[in-house]
Formats: sequence, C-alpha cells, structure tokens
Amino acid sequence: MIDAKDLCLQYADGTLALQNINIHIEPGEVVFIIGPSGSGKTSLLKLLLGMEYPTSGHLAVLGQPIKREKNSEIRRMRMTIGPIFQDFRLLQGRTVLENVLLGMRFLEFSKNEMRINARDAIERVGLSHKINTSVDNLSWGERQRVAIARAVARKPKLIIADEPTGNLDKDNALNILELLTSFKDDHTTVIITTHATHLIENMDRDMLIQIDKGNIEWGRLNHEEYF
Amino acid sequence: MKNIFKNIEYFLKETGTILRLNFLSNIFSILSMALIFCMLSMVISGVWISNQMVELIEGEAEINVFYDESFEDSKVSGILNEIKAINGVRQALIIDKDKAYDRMMGIMGKDAGILEFFEENPFSAFIEVKIELEEMDLIVERMEKIKDIDYIRDNQSVLNRLRSISNIIRVLGIIIITGVGISTLVITSHIIRQGIYSNKEQINTLKLLGAPKYFIVLPFFLEGIFLTLIAGIFAATMGNLALWYIYVQTTGPLPFIPLPPLENLIYGNTILTLCTSIVLGICGSLFGFASTNKN
Repeated sequence: MIDAKDLCLQYADGTLALQNINIHIEPGEVVFIIGPSGSGKTSLLKLLLGMEYPTSGHLAVLGQPIKREKNSEIRRMRMTIGPIFQDFRLLQGRTVLENVLLGMRFLEFSKNEMRINARDAIERVGLSHKINTSVDNLSWGERQRVAIARAVARKPKLIIADEPTGNLDKDNALNILELLTSFKDDHTTVIITTHATHLIENMDRDMLIQIDKGNIEWGRLNHEEYF
Repeated sequence: MKNIFKNIEYFLKETGTILRLNFLSNIFSILSMALIFCMLSMVISGVWISNQMVELIEGEAEINVFYDESFEDSKVSGILNEIKAINGVRQALIIDKDKAYDRMMGIMGKDAGILEFFEENPFSAFIEVKIELEEMDLIVERMEKIKDIDYIRDNQSVLNRLRSISNIIRVLGIIIITGVGISTLVITSHIIRQGIYSNKEQINTLKLLGAPKYFIVLPFFLEGIFLTLIAGIFAATMGNLALWYIYVQTTGPLPFIPLPPLENLIYGNTILTLCTSIVLGICGSLFGFASTNKN
C-alpha cells in the first residue's frame, strides 16, 4: 500500500523537512501520525499525495512510485485517494451534495452510482438533513463532515486526513476521529495526522507514527506502549 | 469523452457560476467586445457592399456611342454592325430619343416630373454598347476608327475611381479586422486568465482530487465562448439595425446606387459575426490557458 525507504525531503530554501523515513503500511490499516506543529507531518502527507517529490530515497503509494517524471500516473493515483484537508477545501456557494458529487465526477462512476454514493456518504457523516444546504451556511464541524463525505464517496483505497480536528472543539473532534477510523471496516487504509495526542489515546488504530524534526519513530501498535 | 457527456450539466452550471461570480466585469467585457464586433461587422459589410457595387457596375459596363441624328436608319445600322464586329463587344443596341427619355423617367422615379418642364425631348439617340470591361481600351481604339461616330462616352474614369475606393475599403477592412481580432483575443484571454486566477483554490483542490486537465479547464473554456457569443449576438443585432437604417436612408434619395439585397446582407452579416465571435472565443480561451500554464 505505502512503502517508503530512506525517504528525504528538502525544500528549495534548504529546509530539511524529512530525513531517512522508512515506513510500510498495509491495506486496511489505521495510522495516526502525531507530532508538534512544524515537525514534518504535513510534508509527509504532501509526499503521499504527490504534491511534493522526494529529494532522495524511494516512496511508492498504492504501488505508484512518487517521482517528478510520473506526473500523469500520480494524477491517476490521486483518483483512488480520498484526501481530507485541514482547511476543508470545499467549493464555496455550492451545496453539500454538489461538493460531494464534485469529487466523483471525473471517476468511472455512472450518474446513478454517483448519486447513491453521495447520499450514502452524506448519511454516514450525519448530514442528510442538510444535503441541499450551501456549505457557506454550515458550522466548522459540519464542513469537516462534508469534506469527509466527499473523500469517502469516491470509494477510495486510501484516506489521508491532514489535521482533521484542527478547527474543532473536543466533542466534535472525537466524533470526527471516530468517524474516520470507522472506515477501516470498509478495508480502507486511513492515515490521520494530528498534533492533539490527547484525542487519540483511546482510538482504535494499527500504527502510531511519532514524527519530530523530520525524523520518525513508528510501529507502536497499542495504547500502553505509547501513552 | 464519456465523462464530458456525463458531466455536461455540471460544466454548464459551473460556467454559469463562474460568470455569476464576476458578473459586473463580464458585463463590461461583453459590451466592449460587442462594440468591437459591431465595428467589425460594419467594416465587413462595407467591403462586401463596395465589392458588389463594383462587380455590378463592371457587369453593366457600357460605352455610349453618339452619331449625327440626321443619319438615315440604314447608315446607323451600318455603324451598329461595325461595332458588333469588334472583339469584346457583348451587345449593341440603338437607343432612340424616345427610349432615352423613357429610361431617364424610370431612373428618376417620382422626381421624373421635372422632365415635363422641357418643351422638347432633351435626350439624344445613341448606341448602347455592352462590353467586356478589360477590353475597353482596345474597343474604344477600334471605335474611334469608325467614321460617322461623333462622340464616344466611356465611364472608365468612374469605374477606376470606384475600383480604387473599393480597394481602399478592402485594405482598411483588413487592418480593422486584424485589429479587432487581436483586441478580442486579448480581452478573451485576459478574462480566462482572470477566471483561472480567481478560482485558483478550486482548481488546486480539483488537481489534488485527481481531476484531469480537461475537467478543470472546460468551464473556463465555455465561459470564453459564451462571453464572445453573447457579444456576437449583440453585435449582429446592432449591425443589422444599422444596415437596415442605412438602406432606408440610401434607397430613397439615392435610388441609382446598386446596393445588394438587404436580406442577403443581414443573413451574411449575422452568420459571419456569430462564427467570428465563436472562433475568436475559442482562440482567446486557448491563449488564456496557454499563458496561465506558462505561469
């Protein structure tokens, strides 16, 4: 699913964001990436999404090597990922349904499948009653749910969520994390970054990656080993 | 292609949203392009009318040959036969005084009453010679050798002047058409660039979701075509109204100007303006994308 060997990322301004990262994630695993702000979590997600390219080392996501010259293959790989962004990246002025449908329009779904997937996903995040509401009129928590619905409706093999609880209060954050980890039941790999370690103490997970100053420790599988 | 048809409703709706988001700016763009297209349609109509006029006049090119009116009919017939034998003469007809008078009555229409003030028929009999225009110099030269001809009236200077006016209009037309084409391309590509920049966030999101390029740019492409097409419709309407007005003003007081039929002109003008607007819309959109890609 995800394979990284001696992965390094250095930005054009010389900042070394990640160094000698080695990770192996199997299909259907739930992985939390934790660490303070600026530790390199988002850089790692950018690499996984093909928004950045490794400076050295090897990275393959869903079997696709992440290399600058593989641009069109990376675009196709993104079609099988459900990304959830910290700032939601929803289309303003459009309804919940329109936003969820947008993520599927260029995939190989028929119109009918798109409609069914969208309604299922919206129902799963608990927003059926607001399906035709403009996203501009939703709370932060609801917007995050729309972003999750958009990602999930695509039936992705991999969900990548960058700080999905960043803008939410504790109750809403826990709800969102529980919702995200529940997709493990669909055999979807879920990778979630967060700096709020207290929120994930009791979360069901297969792997916890701690990242700091571009270095990682990983493989802590249960609650006792880490906390 | 399957995805384009599947999403046609989305693309049109998205185009509408993009147009609505920059509503005022789009209205001004449509107005400025409509004025430019209107200028273009008027220039093209002008070129077309002048070409038609020259062609019509050339087709009617004739020389009038005057002779001594005291000649007997047999002598006039002899002159006529000599003229007919000249290379390049298509037709030669004797127009007697009465026919000449009737013709002028026809040309003057409702103003023909002025002819009644003459006590006698003021017109002379002559031979009307239809010719191939390019042979005019040779024909005149041969006619001058026929004795008993008093005077030959050719309209060469008028035709030459008309042709030079037509050429000037044509050159001006090409310059204006080029200018209009470039202006429209610049305006349309600028609108497209503006649309892309103001929707940068949305475009980035679509890229991260794996959307193919055509899916991202198609609504902007349609926006460009839609704006120029609307401008084209405005321009065609304004241009046709102007043509109609010019015809009404011209055909009354200047009945002898051989204008082409108004219906043909309006039909041609509408088709040409709309097609030009669509083509320029497509080109402008493509330029807009190309320049955005570079940046």
